[in-house]
Amino acid sequence: MSRQELLSPEGLRVDGRRANELRRISCRASVLSSADGSAYYEQGNTKVLVAVYGPREPRAKAQFNHDEAIVNVEFNVAPFSTSERRKRSKGDKRLLEISSFVKQTFEGAIQRSVYPRSQIDIYIHLLQHDGGTLETCINAATLALVDAGVAMADYVCACTAGSIDDTPVLDLNGVEESSIETPDLTVAILPRTGNIALLQMESKLHTSKLEDVMDLAVEGCKHIHKKLDDAVLNAANDLASKLGR
Amino acid sequence: MASLILSPAEQDYIIRGVESGFRADGRSSLDRREVTLRTGMISQANGSARCRIGNLGVGTDVLVGIKAEVNAWTPGDGVPESSGVLICNVECSPSAAQEFEGRGAEELNVELTQLLDRIFNGPQSGIDFEKLCIIPKQAYWVLHVDALVLDVRGGITDALVWATRAALLSTRLPRVVVESIPDDNGVMQAEFDVVDDPDDLTELDGVENMPIAVTFSRIGRRFVVDASEQEEAVAQARMTVAVSPKMDICAVQKGGVLRGFMPTLFSEVLQTAQTIAREEFSRFEKCYAEAKSQALSQIDEPSTGSTFLVPF
Repeated sequence: MSRQELLSPEGLRVDGRRANELRRISCRASVLSSADGSAYYEQGNTKVLVAVYGPREPRAKAQFNHDEAIVNVEFNVAPFSTSERRKRSKGDKRLLEISSFVKQTFEGAIQRSVYPRSQIDIYIHLLQHDGGTLETCINAATLALVDAGVAMADYVCACTAGSIDDTPVLDLNGVEESSIETPDLTVAILPRTGNIALLQMESKLHTSKLEDVMDLAVEGCKHIHKKLDDAVLNAANDLASKLGR
Repeated sequence: MASLILSPAEQDYIIRGVESGFRADGRSSLDRREVTLRTGMISQANGSARCRIGNLGVGTDVLVGIKAEVNAWTPGDGVPESSGVLICNVECSPSAAQEFEGRGAEELNVELTQLLDRIFNGPQSGIDFEKLCIIPKQAYWVLHVDALVLDVRGGITDALVWATRAALLSTRLPRVVVESIPDDNGVMQAEFDVVDDPDDLTELDGVENMPIAVTFSRIGRRFVVDASEQEEAVAQARMTVAVSPKMDICAVQKGGVLRGFMPTLFSEVLQTAQTIAREEFSRFEKCYAEAKSQALSQIDEPSTGSTFLVPF
């Protein structure tokens, strides 16, 4: 199979974006009635639904912590999410890896000592998959946690970036991500301090290029922060109008 | 569901209420709750629907996606020579109840999957499975019905059947061209080609004959339809009856282990099921037509048609 051209000579990518362009982001908080906090987030064709419960009493008494809350993440991929139907078992390593990354990220961001002897559950559903699973999961979970009113140090905003033909590109889609020679870097930052909450890279990238790719991803994170902030504001306004304020 | 604990006073209130013809939410024993239905929100699926049963935006919430695949026929795998198959799969999300976390929902998933299979897989569903055969003994369509239960507030089977019915009605398959080509020995061989054109799609045959389900819950000495979460917690037995548009009974399943259904009630239940099903069919048609016009109106907008971005 011949190598697919991911970046045209005119500088356009397979889906018509420029190298430094994000996909279209739409998100909304408070989408489920029963959850304490919930959010729906779509970035291009990747769509994620997150429900947050808690802080509540831990289900397994053995694992509770006397001085802080425990964070529990469950990641579930809908069988109809990919172009070819695939049912994944609950023990799938890829799924467990993502839920563990999300868990680690938020264990740092949530002020867990505020909620001793309790548990915060984050349930993630991937409804449609087209690259950037981890970034969308983290962004959606941030929105859902804010919606639930969980005390956090800051938002956690994640974004991917890669490098195609030595050009740093932002927000890889499914086609770009699955190409083996494209390095794929996922960064999550706490926007206020700029601290890195998560960093993961696949494939190889020359050291001299890493900084450019990193910078681009961080720039993307800041843009996403604005989007999430707007969604939080919308949800708050919606609630205020319902209360007649 | 199981996590709901009612005090004896609450239980008594519900049971006596039902026996005297009153329900806690103001309905009469045969009233159903409001239904919200949308179709076509999952662009990667051949058909999809989201259904919520409940008043004031709170209720049982189910998302169903249909994916069609072409399978090669192999002898001995139990698929008839000249028909397609439908495979159901129900998954209860932990966002519906905490005890569904991990493998906690496995038993319920299996029960609901089998129930859905009993209603939709077979001649009783009305779907023309022979049309789903592409070339006998060679290739056939498999329809994967994947349901995701997002919220449980009683009446989960009815919501599943509503959503599955709407999703199958909205399902479009790509057209398949079958050709006969002679091989090296001059024997005619059938070959097929799936037309890759998003406008050249066909509907499923016979989907309008699909049944609808009515679930009765026995409470005290009486029964109610479309039980709420609280009512399900005190119900002694549950009976799901699937009725086709021709008023034939397609499937019956009794669930709930506490107590039995009295035989005297059973005949009454079957009769009531048919009257209610008649009303439910016209209600379904109305909701489905509304959902379809919503789906059509969204085509011009840049919106992805997701039910999560707009009030549902």
